[in-house]
Amino acid sequence: MKLALAATTAAAALLFTGCASKNAKYVDSQGPETIVSLDRINIQDWNAAADKLVAKLLASNVLERAPELPAVMAISRIRNNTAVQVDTDNLTKKIRVALLETGKVVTTTTLGADGKVEDAMAAEVGSMQAFMAGEKQKTVLPYYTLSGKLLDDSVKSGNTRQVTYTFQLSLTTTKDGLAVWEGEEQITKQGQRSTVGW
Amino acid sequence: MPTPFVRAAALGGIAALALLATGCATSVNTVSRAEAQATPNYVNDQRVITDSTLGRKLAIVSVNDGKVSGDLLRVQVTLENRSSKPQAFTYKFDWISQDGMELSGPTGGWKQVQLQGREVRAVSAIATNPSAVDFRLKLREN
Repeated sequence: MKLALAATTAAAALLFTGCASKNAKYVDSQGPETIVSLDRINIQDWNAAADKLVAKLLASNVLERAPELPAVMAISRIRNNTAVQVDTDNLTKKIRVALLETGKVVTTTTLGADGKVEDAMAAEVGSMQAFMAGEKQKTVLPYYTLSGKLLDDSVKSGNTRQVTYTFQLSLTTTKDGLAVWEGEEQITKQGQRSTVGW
Repeated sequence: MPTPFVRAAALGGIAALALLATGCATSVNTVSRAEAQATPNYVNDQRVITDSTLGRKLAIVSVNDGKVSGDLLRVQVTLENRSSKPQAFTYKFDWISQDGMELSGPTGGWKQVQLQGREVRAVSAIATNPSAVDFRLKLREN
């Protein structure tokens, strides 16, 4: 009797857990086995948002209008207005890499929003090289700046929570300050608790 | 002779049974121009079905391609949910260069698409690498 009960319990446990192992394992960072959680922006959310925003930007054909290719772009401020602390590089780096790969845009790392330089050493060495050569330092000014905002919206009905993360980006031409492209991507997740896989 | 109350109860029961049988399914009705003005560049495709259940649920209606931003390959695949219930699928585009090498990029992971019952929707992607000349779309059921 006890044996039958134990076997039934084990079978039920196996059914509930599927065949998931409790041991740590590697999963594809861009695959559907990643964890979906409601209280944070997951890796697949960053990937999807970056991918769709890049696709929208490229489909707009706006990058072709720059007088010189590759056009120089600087990353301006990406405001995080969500309730969670995030590193916005999760979004911008993927976009930068993708745009660099297209051959249409290069990103400056020696100019940044609020004077915050990404690669201070490159800026210093450039300055030193110019000084040693007795020249004035040439700074390549960006043709575009990329700015944006992250937003979230959370609602609850009974035990079910829903959260929407909104990723907004604007590409501005620095010569006139006009946003020549703007994109928005929303990701909505609904459920009661985090799950493995989607 | 059944009373009006019994008749109403019986009708209610039949309606509830019908609702249960359909599983609250709602499918999408559509309307579009009778003679399409668009002239897509359709691609002759080859399909490999390893999941016949998925093959029955999700139809590939058409594949067309084009170029954006000058030299970047864009592919659009139109899908149809053959079920009358909403279904979620995941898909992934791979890009292949002239010499047959698969190109890896910063974007292009698996993505989810949710189709309402009988809904037709296109999924598309743009190769960020200008050397991409071919593609492979992978589809799987959620």
